[in-house]
Amino acid sequence: MLEIKNLTKVYPDGTRALKNVSFTVEDGDFLVVIGLSGSGKSTLLRCINRLIEPTEGQILLDGQDIIKADNQELRLIRRRIGMIFQHFNLVDRSSVLTNVLSGKLGYITPWASILHKFPSKVRNEALAALNKVGIADQANKRADELSGGQRQRVGIARALMQNPSMILADEPVASLDPVLAHTILGYLEDLNKETQISVLCSLHYLDLVQRYATKVIGLKDGVLVYQGDREDIREMTDEQFKEIYGEEAKRVSAGTLSGEVRE
Amino acid sequence: MSPERYKEKKPSLVTAPVAALLSFFVPGLGQIMARRVQRGLLMLGAMVTIIGLFIWRVNLLGRRVDGFWPTLSKALERNTFFISFTILAIVALWVWIVYDAVKQTRKGKQYGNAIFALILLVFFGIGWQISEIDIVKLTSDANEAWLPLSKILWPWDAAVTRSTESLEAGAEVLVDSEGPAPPKPERVEGEPYVWVEPREGELSRLDDDNNIIPGTEITVYGEGFAPETRTEIWWSDAIGNEFQPRYQGRYVSTVTDEEGNFEMTMNMPYRLVPPSARGQQIHKVIGRQVSEVGPLLPSDPLVLTIELIIETIFMGMMATLFGIVFSVPVSFLAARNLMSSSWITLLIYYITRTILNIVRAIEPLIWALIAVVWVGLGPFAGIVALTIHSIAALGKLYSESIESINPGPIEAIQATGATKLQTIMFAVVPQMIPPFVSFTIYRWDINVRMSTVIGMVGGGGIGFLLVQYIRLLEYKSAGIAVWFIALTVAILDYVSAEIRQRFV
Repeated sequence: MLEIKNLTKVYPDGTRALKNVSFTVEDGDFLVVIGLSGSGKSTLLRCINRLIEPTEGQILLDGQDIIKADNQELRLIRRRIGMIFQHFNLVDRSSVLTNVLSGKLGYITPWASILHKFPSKVRNEALAALNKVGIADQANKRADELSGGQRQRVGIARALMQNPSMILADEPVASLDPVLAHTILGYLEDLNKETQISVLCSLHYLDLVQRYATKVIGLKDGVLVYQGDREDIREMTDEQFKEIYGEEAKRVSAGTLSGEVRE
Repeated sequence: MSPERYKEKKPSLVTAPVAALLSFFVPGLGQIMARRVQRGLLMLGAMVTIIGLFIWRVNLLGRRVDGFWPTLSKALERNTFFISFTILAIVALWVWIVYDAVKQTRKGKQYGNAIFALILLVFFGIGWQISEIDIVKLTSDANEAWLPLSKILWPWDAAVTRSTESLEAGAEVLVDSEGPAPPKPERVEGEPYVWVEPREGELSRLDDDNNIIPGTEITVYGEGFAPETRTEIWWSDAIGNEFQPRYQGRYVSTVTDEEGNFEMTMNMPYRLVPPSARGQQIHKVIGRQVSEVGPLLPSDPLVLTIELIIETIFMGMMATLFGIVFSVPVSFLAARNLMSSSWITLLIYYITRTILNIVRAIEPLIWALIAVVWVGLGPFAGIVALTIHSIAALGKLYSESIESINPGPIEAIQATGATKLQTIMFAVVPQMIPPFVSFTIYRWDINVRMSTVIGMVGGGGIGFLLVQYIRLLEYKSAGIAVWFIALTVAILDYVSAEIRQRFV
């Protein structure tokens, strides 16, 4: 269980990205964060594994305060939290397999991994992870040779290597077309249902939110403005969605290839 | 461009006639008062520069004449076109600037940049004269360049040689001094034999007007040489220095008859005898037949060129190696993204950057001049010079590639719980290797090319040899060196392009 209490982030230039945000994620939740660009979604997700240092508040993962963790504890916490990114954040020049293997770095003795030596057990695990996302045949290609959808699958495989209890997904489908968006979110949903991994995911499109989320929170200018469960989301109207998103909200028929072009 | 420029401009501070008057006395002042400050300053600066350059050139052309008008008229005489063109252009510009000042006092946008085109034209006109461009010379003396050029373009007959065998005999003569004439040499059976009549005389001399006064006419007889073969006549002075005398620009020689004998007359040649030379001056006349024997061998210039081109390539390699070793640490200090965390590191960043820029701005040839004083002549000086320049150039390129690495993968690897070192090895190093390799190969390429010229100032390598050959007018030997430099650079270009393609 992840509890976030009164989380505030102020950047050095004075920008208040998060203001007093509090919410709870139960194990097995598929929680979607919605909000405009700049509303604080990315900051919120990155505060959870402290890629960005929060300014104030508490983040309790199974009772342990992440904000108070020292370096060693933080690394142990991070390896339990997988993360996938809008721009995939793969190392383009390394092979697909190496990218997946790097998900295991938190478990490996540093000196062996520096020489790029991984136990064969870990290698098999990486191939299995690639197999799970359906691209085992691409293992030896360079990461930048893959298409966008394939690269995000590598990102998921890398997160899987961590045996995570939670996955943070920062707009994982914003760089992909609608069909691929369903494929990628489908993988996350399967993981969520099969292994009770909780997922925190930021999304832009109401249809995707309604299809996948079990809980939704809405952010506007760093303030939590909406909180709802599965039922609330189903009843959510375009007007409510627009309230969170402002005038730029759009509904995209993500299920069809003939859907409108993304914003 | 700021939006301000598109706004309606504020009204002029002066009326049109005043602006015209101001610009008449100080070109551009009218425009400044009409709130066209940049335009006015530009015009003022241009006029001051043009007139200044014009006065300088007039003074140069009209040297050694006093007074304003005499100087100007002498300059006009020496370069009528330039002087009249510039005077006309200055007058036209002046009038135009006055007219422009009037225009600028009106409301609304008043552009029109044709006047700057004229200013530019005047600058090019002056530049043409200052840089002494003379198109006629391109053709008038072209044939003189053809001889060295043809030798450099095809030097290969000088690249091989054969060992020689010579058949020779000599006879002594007494010159320019009192004493008994040397005896006629002994004849030895089976060997060539030369004698001279008379066996004493005077060398050719120069009179006060540098005209040659021919020396005593002598007859040279030869026997026992190879028949019907060219035979060179050599002269050996009192201290044994041999030289080949010339007559009317050609080396003195003869051809033996079918029995191997010859008989020819010549004047005793010109040879400077030191005033301190005393006593009998015994010189020697030598008949010599030189024949090439044996297989073709590489000539001295070819061997030397190959030796030095190898030295050159290794100079470039060593300089690149040292350049890498020193520039890698420097590049971290010069990378803004690594150094922007506090003002101290930022200060170090600025200092490093400044030093790198200054060092890089000084050409390797100039560094070589300094290095020659520092470590002495030879390849090491060249290596020092190239290393210094490489550190600066590579430091800048490396630091820029550090600045441009993508932070995304770093974030992703950190998020897996990796340590700092693991993050560097998995997210930073893979991103940095390709540009590092690429820039290093590129620099190696540059260093080898530079080391071909660095020898010109004594820094070792093939440049040293090339300059020597050119100064000795040995254009064929120079041609061999030029060919090897061109081949090396071409091969290197190809190799470095190939390697870089593989890595980028």
